[in-house]
Amino acid sequence: MKRQIPLMIVLILGLLFVAHVFIPSKISTDYLEWFMKWTKVIGPFAIVLGVFSLVYVHYNKIKRKAPTWGYSIVTLTALVVTTAVGFIWGIQEGTPYMWIFKNFNVPLGATMFSLLAFYIASAAYKAFRARSIEATVLLVAAIIVMLGRVSIGQAITHWIPDITEWILNVPNLAAKRGIALGVGLGMTATSLKIMLGIERSYLGGKD
Amino acid sequence: MTETIGIWIAAFLTLCMFSFLYKDNPFYKFAEHLFVGVSMGYYIPYTYYNAFIPYAYNPLFLKKEYILIIPFIIGFLYWFRFSSKFSWVSRYPIAFGMGMVGMGVPMSMHATVLVQMRSMMLPLNNINIILIFIGTISILLYFFFSKAHEGVYGKFTSIGIWFMMVGFGASFGYTVMARISLLIGRVQFLLGDWLGLIK
Amino acid sequence: MKFVDRIQKVDRRIIYVILLLAVVLPLVFRLGFKTYTTTPVENLYRHIDAAAGKDDVAVLMDFTHDPGVLPELYPMDLAILRHCFERNIKVFTISFLPQGAAIIQMALSEVKEDYPNIEANVDYCNFGFKPWSTKLPIMLGMGDDIAEAVETNSEGLKLENLPIMQNMKNYDNIQVVVEISGSSMGQFWVTYARAKFGVDVAVGLTAVMAADVYPYLQSGQFVGSLGGLKGAAEYEQLVDIFAMYGNEFSKNYARDQAWVEAQYEELPELARLYKYNKARIGMDAQAIVHVLIIFFIILGNVGYFLDKRAQKKKFGK
Repeated sequence: MKRQIPLMIVLILGLLFVAHVFIPSKISTDYLEWFMKWTKVIGPFAIVLGVFSLVYVHYNKIKRKAPTWGYSIVTLTALVVTTAVGFIWGIQEGTPYMWIFKNFNVPLGATMFSLLAFYIASAAYKAFRARSIEATVLLVAAIIVMLGRVSIGQAITHWIPDITEWILNVPNLAAKRGIALGVGLGMTATSLKIMLGIERSYLGGKD
Repeated sequence: MTETIGIWIAAFLTLCMFSFLYKDNPFYKFAEHLFVGVSMGYYIPYTYYNAFIPYAYNPLFLKKEYILIIPFIIGFLYWFRFSSKFSWVSRYPIAFGMGMVGMGVPMSMHATVLVQMRSMMLPLNNINIILIFIGTISILLYFFFSKAHEGVYGKFTSIGIWFMMVGFGASFGYTVMARISLLIGRVQFLLGDWLGLIK
Repeated sequence: MKFVDRIQKVDRRIIYVILLLAVVLPLVFRLGFKTYTTTPVENLYRHIDAAAGKDDVAVLMDFTHDPGVLPELYPMDLAILRHCFERNIKVFTISFLPQGAAIIQMALSEVKEDYPNIEANVDYCNFGFKPWSTKLPIMLGMGDDIAEAVETNSEGLKLENLPIMQNMKNYDNIQVVVEISGSSMGQFWVTYARAKFGVDVAVGLTAVMAADVYPYLQSGQFVGSLGGLKGAAEYEQLVDIFAMYGNEFSKNYARDQAWVEAQYEELPELARLYKYNKARIGMDAQAIVHVLIIFFIILGNVGYFLDKRAQKKKFGK
């Protein structure tokens, strides 16, 4: 009941999907339609998990007066205000909800990732060392690609962008293909393991 | 007016985030926690209006497709995840969603393995394709650790290392480009939209 | 302190300031570096352009990205939309992330203000946000019937009642699916939609992922790709030199710098707007910073090897 039935559900649905890929009959199409409809109904309920988890963690921090509990108030207030604004005034273009997105989400999200530029500059100076021949090859390839992707490379000599294109279309392609093949085989194996119930970590829990 | 206020708020929050480069400080912490709250709060109305209402509520209550009460109930079972006694109930909707992996088996095999293998070796009619073929095979053999990398086999697999170093170098060059682009975008906002120095 | 020690121990905040100046100065004092187009971008442009003026074919843009990667991907969004509106190409937009749906609205309203004749649900249709869990069902469902799979647009209107959908049924009416994302979701479209229904797929990616798509470009699984800010800059240029003049794409002309510069002399004012040149302006700063990073790598390694030699001399082999 607790583990066996969910595993049976995965196995039966999985096998039906494998059959669906190879059998172009009406029953097969109807099965996909039925599954799609039910998945669309089930999907929205999962958002509650994320919201509840966030609220639970921060509420506990405030309750216990843990260090930095004041910031948890900021988080929960932002959550409540944004949600309320969306429900009261709607989510279309021109509403306060979109104003919050443009002036809060966008700058905060974009700036958080842009900090990486500084770290990469610092790492380029302090950490990227050609300690071995392989590392030297890596750095030389990186330098050629960095120059080849900007117009300064073309201005120095047309060979730089040409070599960049060759690097991307031959050795880089071979490397990425080798890795992609490995990943593809791994994905297929993992999907089979999930379907056959060998891989059960997605179910979680001990019982 | 609201646009101007919005730009100043966005600039303030941008600078709060950048302040972390000097050292961790209350402004950065405030901005970080605000981001988490706003991001999650943003999801809820969108999911309600664009997913729950058209896919769950309308078909069941307005179109009266009563059979959909079953997936409705299955969806509710997700919420038992937080109960220590009944968390196993949430496995049912998870298992239902995982059923789609069955489709992934033949389809990912086709798209990521068979098509790629075919492109690797057909047609072997110029030096670049031959290099790609040798490179891909040597990389795949490099990751096959059940056989010791010795002798001729070891030498062949070491060719794969060189291909991978060039490939990773290309990825590294692109990664530098990506990170710098993100910074350029924020600086364009600060100098353009906020200070009006670039038009 | 010796020179070698000094250059090894530079405070990271000095590096940050130098980097910031290397970004700010080229943006304020425009350098006007040229943009050179590459094959993956040209292929995508040509493929989208082939749908020009057709009523029964559309481009489907999937905005599965969030604000974190906006600086790289937003110029791509604007460039592709401008191309489609300029050349009367029907557009469908969809997102499986809520943030992506807001970005669609931002992009559409920003481009539409310059194309007042473009009508919603006639020339383009915004399918809006669909939950992540419905991505695969919708992707597969569109192979049979787009209106049935997607059901409603972003305003809640039934697709089957919209004018744009009169001649649109399934993937046979989709010229290309352009996945614009900061992840490998393009491979999702290839694995399911292309494998089952044969629809053409292209990607607009952050530069981090750009090197990973070359196997798929060579195999033909992707018809084209835009890689990072450079890809966006190339696409902006192609739209300026071809679409703005109503011309079809020509690779020979695109690679002829003299011809390209001549096109810019009589370019309409619309194309000179800052928002449609952001990627190319950003590439000025990108070029300077790339040189700076290379300088940092070389300087850091020079210091490292000098230090290593000094240590060897001091302590022997």
